[in-house]
Amino acid sequence: MAKNIFIGEILRNEEIRPNYFLMKVQLPDSFDEPRPGQFVMIRIAGLSEPFLGRPISIYSYSLRKSFVEIEFLYRIAGKGTQILAGLIKSSQVEVHGPLGGSYEVFPEKENIVFIAGGIGVAPLSLLAQYLCKNVCLVPSRMNFYLGAQTAKEIVGLDKLTRLCYNIQICTDDGSQGRKSLVTQAFAEDIKKYDPANTAVYACGPKGMMKALAGILGKGKFACQVSLEERMACGTGACMGCAVAVKDKQGDVAYKRVCSDGPVFNLADVIWE
Amino acid sequence: MKAKTFPQMAVQLGKLSLKNPVMTASGTFGYGEEYADYVDLNRLGAIVVKGLSLQPRLGNPPPRIMETAGGMLNAIGLQNIGVDAFIEEKLPYLRQYDVAVIANIYGESYAEYQKVAKKLSAVKGVHALEVNVSCPNVKKGGLSFGTDPKVAAMVTRKVKEETDLPVIIKLTPNVTDIAAVAAAVEKAGADALSLINTLTGMSVDLKSRKPHLKNITGGLSGPAIKPVALRMVWQVVKRVAIPVIGIGGIVNAVDALEFLMVGAKAVQVGTANFINPYATTDILEGMQNYLQDNNIKDINKLIGTFNAGGSSCSG
Repeated sequence: MAKNIFIGEILRNEEIRPNYFLMKVQLPDSFDEPRPGQFVMIRIAGLSEPFLGRPISIYSYSLRKSFVEIEFLYRIAGKGTQILAGLIKSSQVEVHGPLGGSYEVFPEKENIVFIAGGIGVAPLSLLAQYLCKNVCLVPSRMNFYLGAQTAKEIVGLDKLTRLCYNIQICTDDGSQGRKSLVTQAFAEDIKKYDPANTAVYACGPKGMMKALAGILGKGKFACQVSLEERMACGTGACMGCAVAVKDKQGDVAYKRVCSDGPVFNLADVIWE
Repeated sequence: MKAKTFPQMAVQLGKLSLKNPVMTASGTFGYGEEYADYVDLNRLGAIVVKGLSLQPRLGNPPPRIMETAGGMLNAIGLQNIGVDAFIEEKLPYLRQYDVAVIANIYGESYAEYQKVAKKLSAVKGVHALEVNVSCPNVKKGGLSFGTDPKVAAMVTRKVKEETDLPVIIKLTPNVTDIAAVAAAVEKAGADALSLINTLTGMSVDLKSRKPHLKNITGGLSGPAIKPVALRMVWQVVKRVAIPVIGIGGIVNAVDALEFLMVGAKAVQVGTANFINPYATTDILEGMQNYLQDNNIKDINKLIGTFNAGGSSCSG
C-alpha cells in the first residue's frame, strides 16, 4: 500500500512578484524524492473549499536530517491558488505525491536546452537541479531560454543562475533581457544545436509550446513538454485532465495529463 | 477493557451478496487497478468499474471538469476502452481479488446495451451489471433512455433478456418524478436500483464569457448534491420493493449511514475518491465504529430505520 499523502507544514509562502508565490513546505522524510517533471496535489487540510486538490509542479526538493523540504513556485490562476496564496506560515496543507511521470534525461547529449514561459520555469528548474546534482552534468552544457510578458513575470532566476551558465531572458516588452518571444530567441540559435545531440525541454503557455512545435517541426529535435490541465484525482481514475495527442496510428486519443503525462513528446501533442 | 464485538457488515441485494455495503461509484475508481496502491480491494463491498460501451469511446474534448461550490462538474463523455478490451485486459486483474465486480454498461441503442450485457455475462468474474440509463453527457443516448419511464423499462427488459446476472439500473435525477421511473424499471424486471447519477449543471467563465467545460454542460457531483440524492433515495425506497443503492456526495461514514437509514441497502462512494483515495475504507471503518459505539451488531438492523416523525408521533 502506498502512503503518499502527507500533512505538510508551510515554512514560507511569499508573494515574490505580483500574483507569483513561492511556498516552502516541510514534509516527513518518507516523502519520495521527486523525479523532475512530477507534481503533487495540494489541498488545505480540513477545509471543504477548495474541494479538489490543486496540481502544482515541484520546484525544488531537499532532504534534511529528518524531514524533507519542497518548494512550489506558483501563479494565482483561479480560486484554488488564490486560497493557497492566502495561507500563512505554520499552516498545514495536505500533499499527495509525488505524482505523474517525469522527463526522460539524456546525459550523453551534448546540449540540453530548456525553454520556459512564465511559471513554466518551475518544473524545468527542478530538472536543471536534477541534472546538476544527480547526473553531474556540467552547467556549461545547459542552455536556458526564459521568457515572459514583462520583467514582472520573470521568476525563478535566482535559482537558475546557480545551475546554468547560459541563460537568455526575453520579454514581450523588452523590460528585461531581449525584446523578443522566447521561442524566437531559440529559433535564432537553433543552428548552434545538432539535433541528434540535443535534448529540448519546454514548459509554458499553450501558445508558446505550439509555436515551438512549429519551429522544431522542421528539424529532428526531440522535445519533451510538460502540460497542465484542471485535475480532480491526480491518479488516473477520473479522466478529467484529458489532452489530445496522436496515438501510434496517428489518430486522436485523449491522454491523462496526471498519469500518462504530465510530460509528453511535443510532436505528439495536438494543439487546437 | 471489554473487547468490542465486530459488527456484521454483510448485506444482501437480491441475489447479490456483498461483504459490506461500501461500493465504488462508476467512473470514479477506474478499473480498480488505479486505486490498488491505496485501498485493499478485498475490503470493498463491490467495485463498480468505469462505464463500458460496445466500442471504445474517445470521450469529450477538454476542459472536462470544473470545481464548483461543494463539488465538481464533469463532462468526460464516457471515455472507455470498450467491453472487449475490458474483458481482455482489465478483468483478469480484478479476478485476483475476492471482491464483487459490477460492470457498468452503456449503449446508444437497445441492441448495443444487449450486446455489451451478453459479452459480460459470458465471462467469469463479473458479478452484476449496472446499467447506465442516465449519463447526461452524451447527446445521442443517455438522458433520453433514463428520463422516460417507458424507455427505461424497455432497456431493463432488453438487458434482462441477455443475462442471468443481477441487473442494477442506475437512475438519473434529471427527471420530475424519479419514483415513477423506479417503479417502471422494477416492473420490467430490474433486480436493484442505484441512484443518483449526476445532476446536469454548467459554469461560466466571466472573463471569456465562455463555459468552463468544452461540452458546455456537465454532471454535478460531490457533497453539493447529497441532500438531493438522499431525498430521492427516500422517495424511491418508499415506492419499490427491490434493493436500492444510495449514491451522491458521500464523503464520510455519517453520509453513508444517512443513506442506509432512509432505506438504501448499500452505498457508492464516488467523487470522494478524488480528494481522498482512502475514502472507501475510511467510510467502512467509520461505519463499523458507529455500529460498535451504538451497540448495533448487524448493519442490517440500521437499514431503513429512519423515523420521519410527523403523524406517527405517539407522545
